[in-house]
Amino acid sequence: MIRSVLVWLLFAGTAWAQGQSRDLRGIWQATGTAYQNLEGTPAQRGQPAAKSIVVDPSNGRIPYRADARKSADRNSKERATSDPLLSCFQPGVPRAVLLPEPFQIFQNPDRVVIVYQHVHAYRVIFTDGRPHYDEGIDFYMGDSRGRWEGNTLVVDVTNFKPETWLDNAGNFHGNKLHVIERYTRTGADTLRYEATIEDPEVFERSWTIRVDLARHTEPNFQLLEHECERDAQGIHRHPPQFLK
Amino acid sequence: MKADNSMKLAMLLLIATGAVAQSEFTPPRLADGHPDFGGIWMAASLSAAFNVEEHGASYGTPAGPSVIIDPPGGKLPYLPGMRERAADNDQHRERDPVGQCHMHGVPRVMFPPFPLEILQDGNYVLILAETEHGVRIIPTDGRPFLKDYSTWNGDSRGHWEGDTLVVEVRGLNGRSWLDQAGNFMGAGAHVVERFRLTGKDTLDYQAKVENPAVFSRPFTVRVPLRRRPADVELLEYGCIEGERDAAHLPAVNGEKK
Repeated sequence: MIRSVLVWLLFAGTAWAQGQSRDLRGIWQATGTAYQNLEGTPAQRGQPAAKSIVVDPSNGRIPYRADARKSADRNSKERATSDPLLSCFQPGVPRAVLLPEPFQIFQNPDRVVIVYQHVHAYRVIFTDGRPHYDEGIDFYMGDSRGRWEGNTLVVDVTNFKPETWLDNAGNFHGNKLHVIERYTRTGADTLRYEATIEDPEVFERSWTIRVDLARHTEPNFQLLEHECERDAQGIHRHPPQFLK
Repeated sequence: MKADNSMKLAMLLLIATGAVAQSEFTPPRLADGHPDFGGIWMAASLSAAFNVEEHGASYGTPAGPSVIIDPPGGKLPYLPGMRERAADNDQHRERDPVGQCHMHGVPRVMFPPFPLEILQDGNYVLILAETEHGVRIIPTDGRPFLKDYSTWNGDSRGHWEGDTLVVEVRGLNGRSWLDQAGNFMGAGAHVVERFRLTGKDTLDYQAKVENPAVFSRPFTVRVPLRRRPADVELLEYGCIEGERDAAHLPAVNGEKK
């Protein structure tokens, strides 16, 4: 009995490790604190420590061009006022996936839809081979086109506006950003997320981040409405979702 | 006046024709047996977006009929004093929450002059609005409502009555308008929506609104939605990202200056 359970566990583990399901549906959230800084950061007041999720290059650093690293450092110093999220911007990709807020994946045969709790940003990802929009038609969340490689959903994201950041620390990109995301089920309640990031005007080479996403399994868990609004004085506020 | 009456007659004929068509129409179904509402939809007429009541033409607003099917007169059953508030809103459209980049709220979110996408997936009906990248996630698994919730698009729960999707909405924040003309809702609204396919490319939408803080009785709006061609995609709608006006506008409706 015990042996058969072990064999089953081994089999199940192997099966998930290979990505045996194309069913990505559910409410997910990134594990870890990489939203603070993709390159990792020590704990600071009000901010948890983060470990680098840059898996390529192996030193865990974003391969900025020299001038671009200076811009990232400047962003970091000014992040208390200049982070686009403070102005209610849609977060962009991959930042939307990494934020400490849940998102929900819906699937139909020809499309995958991801709804992020954060400012109710969403992406409709066609998987029926439709081409990207022409160059020059730009979006905060980019233009996403998906395809299946085995049971991995590969999403090619282009047509970005340059105004979004990659994390809270001011890591950034330009308007030649190209992101290739890979979503692979690795367990009943886990999804492996990888994103390869290119932008020849900002980075010396392409680089890759990897993080695990965990499913929310609490009964009746649901996304809440996160509206971000600007008042008459131009100050951004997040109205409460609950009266008490 | 004559033209007005012939328009009403044409509307009646359209409704009558629709009634015949819907009794004969068998909707396409998903594997779970429910009708397939999937696709990109948009209000067949933009009249309701301008004004849910009958209205004449004015600058920037084409004339249109009322979309209120109950009460029979087609007028919003405002409590005393509330119609004056709506008229004042109409003179101060800068208060329109949509102009301040907010989501439309229910039911206005269903008939903006922008497309909507409906997607069904298991125990969910998802409605994506292009405008304000608005989202409604509607569970149909019988779960309870959130308690003390207060948001622009509220908390929706769906169930099927035959081929009609019935969605109950609570948790609306009471700050939404019903249209661009300043008709408005208040706190504590309870909305019951009914979605039904009446043809391959036509979706009948009705919403019954109970809101005793503003209205003396419930009212029902009816707006037919029409399917957009298969190659239409929702585009990203940025509003607050490029917003430059808020600093020059008075406070949002319902807020103290």
